Amino acid sequence: MQELLLEASWLIPLYGLVGAVLTLPWSTGYIRRTGPRPAAYFNLLMTIAALVHGAIAFRASLSLAPDPIVIHWFKAADLDLSFALDISPVSLGAAELVTGLSILAQFFSLGYMEKDWALARFFALMGFFEGAMTGLALSDSLFLSYALLEMLTLSTYLLVGFWYAQPLVVTAARDAFLTKRVGDVLLLMGVVALATLSGTLNFQELYDWAETATLTPTVSTLLGLALISGPIGKCAQFPLHMWLDEAMEGPNPASILRNSVVVACGAYILIKLQPILILSPTASIALVVLGTMTAIGASLVAIAQIDIKRALSHSTSAYLGIVFIAVGMQWTNVALMVLFAHAIAKALLFMSTGSIIVTTSTQDITEMGGLWSRMPATTTAFVTGASGLIGLLPLGGFWSMREGINAFWYDDVWLVGVLLIVNALTAFNLTRVFRLVFLGSPKVKTRRAPEVPWTMAVPMVSLTIITLLVPAILNRLYLLPDWAYMNQSAVVLLMLSGLIGFLAGALARFSGVWTRSVQMPFKFLQDMLAYDFYVDQLYRVTVIWLVNLVSQFSAWFDRYIVDGVVNLVGLASIFSGESLKYSVSGQSQLYLLTILLGVSFLGVWLTYPMWNALLNY
Amino acid sequence: MLSVLVWIPFVAALLVGLLPRSSSTSVMRWVALVAMGGTFVWSVLLAVRFDALDANAQFQELLPWIEPLGLSYQLGVDGLSLPLLIINGLLTWIAIYSSDEDIQRPRLYYILILLLNGGVAGAFLAQNLLLFFLFYELELIPLYFLIAIWGGARRGYAATKFLLYTALSGILILAAFLGVVWLSHAPSFEYDAINTQLLPIASQLVLLSLLIVGFGIKIPLVPLHTWLPDAHVEASTPISVLLAGVLLKLGTYGLLRFGLQLFPESWTVLAPYLATWAVVSVLYGAFTAIAQTDMKKMVAYSSIGHMGYILLAAAAATPLSILGTVFQMVSHGLISAMLFLLVGVVYKKTGTRDITILSGLLNPERGMPIVGSLMVIGVMGSAGIPGMMGFISEFLIFRGCFPVFPVQTLFSMIGTGLTAVYLLLLVNRTFFGRLPEQFSNLPKVYWSERLPAFGLAILIVFLGIQPNWMVRWSETTTTAMLAPEAAIATVAPIKAPKTLTAPAVIQSSRPTNTL
Repeated sequence: MQELLLEASWLIPLYGLVGAVLTLPWSTGYIRRTGPRPAAYFNLLMTIAALVHGAIAFRASLSLAPDPIVIHWFKAADLDLSFALDISPVSLGAAELVTGLSILAQFFSLGYMEKDWALARFFALMGFFEGAMTGLALSDSLFLSYALLEMLTLSTYLLVGFWYAQPLVVTAARDAFLTKRVGDVLLLMGVVALATLSGTLNFQELYDWAETATLTPTVSTLLGLALISGPIGKCAQFPLHMWLDEAMEGPNPASILRNSVVVACGAYILIKLQPILILSPTASIALVVLGTMTAIGASLVAIAQIDIKRALSHSTSAYLGIVFIAVGMQWTNVALMVLFAHAIAKALLFMSTGSIIVTTSTQDITEMGGLWSRMPATTTAFVTGASGLIGLLPLGGFWSMREGINAFWYDDVWLVGVLLIVNALTAFNLTRVFRLVFLGSPKVKTRRAPEVPWTMAVPMVSLTIITLLVPAILNRLYLLPDWAYMNQSAVVLLMLSGLIGFLAGALARFSGVWTRSVQMPFKFLQDMLAYDFYVDQLYRVTVIWLVNLVSQFSAWFDRYIVDGVVNLVGLASIFSGESLKYSVSGQSQLYLLTILLGVSFLGVWLTYPMWNALLNY
Repeated sequence: MLSVLVWIPFVAALLVGLLPRSSSTSVMRWVALVAMGGTFVWSVLLAVRFDALDANAQFQELLPWIEPLGLSYQLGVDGLSLPLLIINGLLTWIAIYSSDEDIQRPRLYYILILLLNGGVAGAFLAQNLLLFFLFYELELIPLYFLIAIWGGARRGYAATKFLLYTALSGILILAAFLGVVWLSHAPSFEYDAINTQLLPIASQLVLLSLLIVGFGIKIPLVPLHTWLPDAHVEASTPISVLLAGVLLKLGTYGLLRFGLQLFPESWTVLAPYLATWAVVSVLYGAFTAIAQTDMKKMVAYSSIGHMGYILLAAAAATPLSILGTVFQMVSHGLISAMLFLLVGVVYKKTGTRDITILSGLLNPERGMPIVGSLMVIGVMGSAGIPGMMGFISEFLIFRGCFPVFPVQTLFSMIGTGLTAVYLLLLVNRTFFGRLPEQFSNLPKVYWSERLPAFGLAILIVFLGIQPNWMVRWSETTTTAMLAPEAAIATVAPIKAPKTLTAPAVIQSSRPTNTL
């Protein structure tokens, strides 16, 4: 049985897709009498099936080594597209993480989206989302991974654009799609080039190829940069990071997944690509540089946000920046651990945020306050999630950060500094949000704030417990280091950085004048961070302006030059015909004479050789 | 076997013409629908009986016609023309189905559409240069009238422009055909009888250039394209479907059949220029589409971009890229037909196609949510999102062209990114947002109006997930198109020592990977 389910692991992504298809009668409005709930139940059921299947397969994979699964999809000429699936504890564990969080998020959305008329459509998209992500976790083929990344781009677009009647959502969905698409197209270029150079697209064969490949520096650099740009877009790294912030206009349950596992999918591909990226030192350097820029930049930007979801989403970019650094430095185990700890903690933070939003109907943290006594479960969730994210002993964030510090301790001390700064800034930001939302005196919108209904509370509390259990899970997977061999000073530094951030956040003044300072330099800084270093303005005057200009010009050129020449020729021929008609007299004798002369001229010309021969004869 | 595909439409056209004066519109419509359905089913039957492993023209038919001219009625089908014949039947059926039931002058309308279908089928089937030319010109006349009579406000201008352009294309093609046959002293106009390798390379290049410009008008390639946006904007929805879905394919079909296949030698000389031309076409089409505000014009310019990929793939002339051209022809036929159908529904219900006016059509109660969802599918298919046909065909082309023209391929790939830009803007502006007051009382969309697009969507997704189903019909032919020497070598083992290395030699005679 176990073995059978392990062999059939390729089914796991299909559950989500089947769930999505099952919702169609409700989401298209064909069945209206029952309301949209049955669609949600179908989807939940399919996800639970995926979870159970995945769990059994995961247990089995720890002891058994299954035959690699290869799906022969398409073969034409010299192209053989067969998808290898990676059935290993790591990939099945990743799939489990995705399905597990998906169940919690779907359960949560039963409550969160209860009053939404398009609940069925939402669940269809969630099923699609989940299917694509689990597929990505299991995929061992670059082609399949690329295809699934694009599917994720599509479903992100549709989920962000879920409430499509709102103006901000319209632009957010557009930007999410186009930004990711930029990364995807560059990645596609990399995929095509790699397929041509190596002749295969399965990761295992690519690794073998990469070991012996000899490429010119230019080619390998371009290839490396193309390959990392897909993950850059997916993981919201500078310079393709704007979309994640805007995507917070979408429904919150989707944000739970987006900030935890969807961004992680991009990083997962990056980790898979890492052995190929070795070919290009430039790409690795680019990863570290971009990761550092994003990690510190996004942590700073998060501090200036007053929208609760945006304050957290920028910290997602920051943590993914750490993952990028880790991959760039070839420490993939650090990257995986950061991804894991971050995914669970961030999902919990977003659940807690969701309960706050649904209760207070606002996302502005300056309008909140005093929620701690009114919403105990939400408060607990937020505190647990925050502790799980920053390096607080003994939760997940601590262990993943420690792993990172340990890795960079001897050779790249400055990266240890980056990690500590990110940790301190995150601690500061979370303390700030916590103080503004939960402490202080209740404001207008938080005065009547009952705890959320059980459909939202149950997944939130479960995830709180899971977050607390992360160290135990890590222990079971033998990922925790032996206490005796631990670098004591690293532990102290990490705790200290968190403490500094916490104290700064606890002691700083946020209320009153500080929310909008009148001092010019401080106001300037605040604005710059709040508007994300004005990167979107920068885009508007560069890339968007350029594309617009070129398209306007080509349209103008098309209309007035290309078409203009054509119309001019037409006009000229009509004009010449019109003017020539005045030269005719109407006498038929003249016409006959003209025809006769013309024909005889032609006849002479055509038979000229004959006459010539006759004359010479 | 094959004559049926040509003559059913012609006979049905005659039948519609001979129907008594009193017969109602729906009778004519039914005759046309049944005839087209029959042709479509027949073409599917042909596909079933088609031997996918045989690279030669199959089900050949030969009737002597005007022997002294070298013109004979000779038909045949191979893996290049078979998919095109099938979509010709399918899309004509859909075009008739989605025509207005109370259309003006129904008798003439259905006759013309049927003639158009027969002409196109004949052109795809012809195995004789002159016969091809006859059918190629035959298809032009009904289309001219279909645009000129049932078109929009500037239909006269658009139809005349179309006629002049296509007539010019016909003249160039005819000149090239006559030149090929007379200069090479071929016994007849049969495809198999012609061998251009005997000609000096200079005259080959001249003849090939004539052909490329001639078919380039039909495809259309920038800067020979300006008839297309006008024709699309002025033509009614079913005619746009046929124009984009089927008629443009005549150009690419001709390019492959006569350019690549008749002039293998000089083709390689021109190939680098053609690839660059393709890039210009792709990017020009995409950029111009971004600036359009008319939905139909946008889709029309996207056609120019998408057909540019085919030129790129034809220029690269690797087995994979040629297979990609067949795939791209079919996928572009289906996807652009679907987009035009949906734009047609939007236009019919709202009375406008201007994306600066339309907004919020996805509204669940008063808008058109299902049409919107289908539009999202069509747009994503056109932008090359995996899981749909547009992706696999573009991937085949890019993967096939990259070894030969890496730079040009990369530039064309920017085109897919730009395609996403304008099509997404189209969906975002028209379907997202708030439904304005003026559109709050839209007429109901009936299932009969959604059905054609729905069927096409299923087909696009199905062939995107299961591309093997299409590849197996064409693979043998497209491979053989490139390596006639290898095919000969395997049949006649005179050059026995060379046969083992033959494929490698052919490979290296083309420009290889410059990386």
